[in-house]
Amino acid sequence: MILGVETSCDETAAALVTRGGEVLANVVSSQADLHARYGGVVPEVASRRHLELVVPVVREALAEANATLDDIETVAVTNGPGLIGALLVGLSAAKALAWARRLALVPVDHLHGHVASLYLEPEPVEPPFACLLASGGHTLLLDVRDHGGYRVLGTTLDDAAGEAFDKGARLLGLGYPGGAAIDRLAREGDAEAYTFPVARVPGLDFSFSGLKTALLYAVRDLPHGELERRRPDLAASYQRAIIRALVERVEAAASRLGAEQVAVVGGVAANSELRASLPAAALAPLPLCTDNAAMIASAARFVEAIPWPGYLAVDARASAA
Amino acid sequence: MDVLAFDTATSVVTAALVRDGQVLGERVSRPVSVLEDAHALLAGAGLVPAELDAVAVGIGPGSFTGIRLGIATARALALALDVPVAGVSTLRALAAGAPGSLPVIDAKRREVFVELDGEPHVLAPAGVPVEPGTVCVGDGAVRYRAVLEASGAEIPPDASELHVPRACFHALLARDYGAAERVEPLYVRIPDADRASA
Ligand SMILES: [Zn+2]
Repeated sequence: MILGVETSCDETAAALVTRGGEVLANVVSSQADLHARYGGVVPEVASRRHLELVVPVVREALAEANATLDDIETVAVTNGPGLIGALLVGLSAAKALAWARRLALVPVDHLHGHVASLYLEPEPVEPPFACLLASGGHTLLLDVRDHGGYRVLGTTLDDAAGEAFDKGARLLGLGYPGGAAIDRLAREGDAEAYTFPVARVPGLDFSFSGLKTALLYAVRDLPHGELERRRPDLAASYQRAIIRALVERVEAAASRLGAEQVAVVGGVAANSELRASLPAAALAPLPLCTDNAAMIASAARFVEAIPWPGYLAVDARASAA
Repeated sequence: MDVLAFDTATSVVTAALVRDGQVLGERVSRPVSVLEDAHALLAGAGLVPAELDAVAVGIGPGSFTGIRLGIATARALALALDVPVAGVSTLRALAAGAPGSLPVIDAKRREVFVELDGEPHVLAPAGVPVEPGTVCVGDGAVRYRAVLEASGAEIPPDASELHVPRACFHALLARDYGAAERVEPLYVRIPDADRASA
């Protein structure tokens, strides 16, 4: 079986996945509570927490699968993109574990990992498909032809979709992470109450910074004391604008590719309006949408492993490959 | 007892393989390749990782990322090999290599780490308490040579190995081998984000 390790942002995760894509254990220790008081992920705080948690999550994954280190054949670990200091904690631990046990190692691209969340049992999605990857760190449109990788069609020019949710939630005085808070409140609001602009960026790229500014002005221009009453409408309208941008673009990507299948991965895939807007889209189960290590182990199934000890100098990288 | 020791807290990474207090091999390189050094040291001694008996790791102070790299490596080795780990202060390893000296580690932001009264501190270079004749070693001593020498300190030439926290000293200083999770980083500084609230 494959041991997956993921520490690229604010989830410390370990998972055990079989060669066939069966998830035997998927342990995610989220730091969301830790970062809530800063209103976002603080890299140094995240890295300190990863160091405390990385070995415990591996132990927990083994216990959950009723397995021992002897059952592991390959170690898969995210080596980018992500927060460099955070990535280095997981990468160092994974390399040391693999070296000491004389195992093969697969450095996994985090974005490939998100796509590979769709390849896990019990309902694996088969390529080809047009894929929207939307999370707190990324907003990308991907052309996925086979299990081994992807081609980037478009990306965000400024904020990621999940970041737009977080920033919007902050402007509305909601908690962190913002996606769930806005989604919840939006259900009580009128999505047509405000017209927020969906940025018209050429091609298949995204831009959310103008939207955030529009919300800032809408909140600022409210009569004193009105925010409480208008908050659900603002949340619903703001969410509508983000989701509309995502849906328009992924549909444009699919038609450009002639792809019959559309898939959505990443934390924003949990958004109820996005799900309702793309009823035919392939979606990974919710626990596999947010950052996790099962998706990293899944991606490793389709990438050639580096045999022992050829990976000792593998480094982390902050940006996309 | 075969001990693998390493220190990744400063810009110079050191590794050593020590058998019953006798140094079998030593290497100096860069942070990301500490396991390459470990591998080469073991290969040189005809050992495989499973034959290691213990791990000694530098816990800083120094680069936060470097310290974590070392401790994550040590903790994972402990898990993989079921061996005990000892953490050793990088300042104390430097002091062991240059007895009687005052180790000074570069803390970036125009500050340095030094040990005073048994505790690590972060100070401005000009605030390091040196007396005429005090020998200062470490990358902080090299970087702030002019400031420290103006206070009367004596600093070995930049290329001197006295400035390097050689991992053989970690192995020789390590006493308290135990569960790896007890080996904590010596950050000294709190994260910036916590400063306002601290
Ligand atoms: Zn992600």
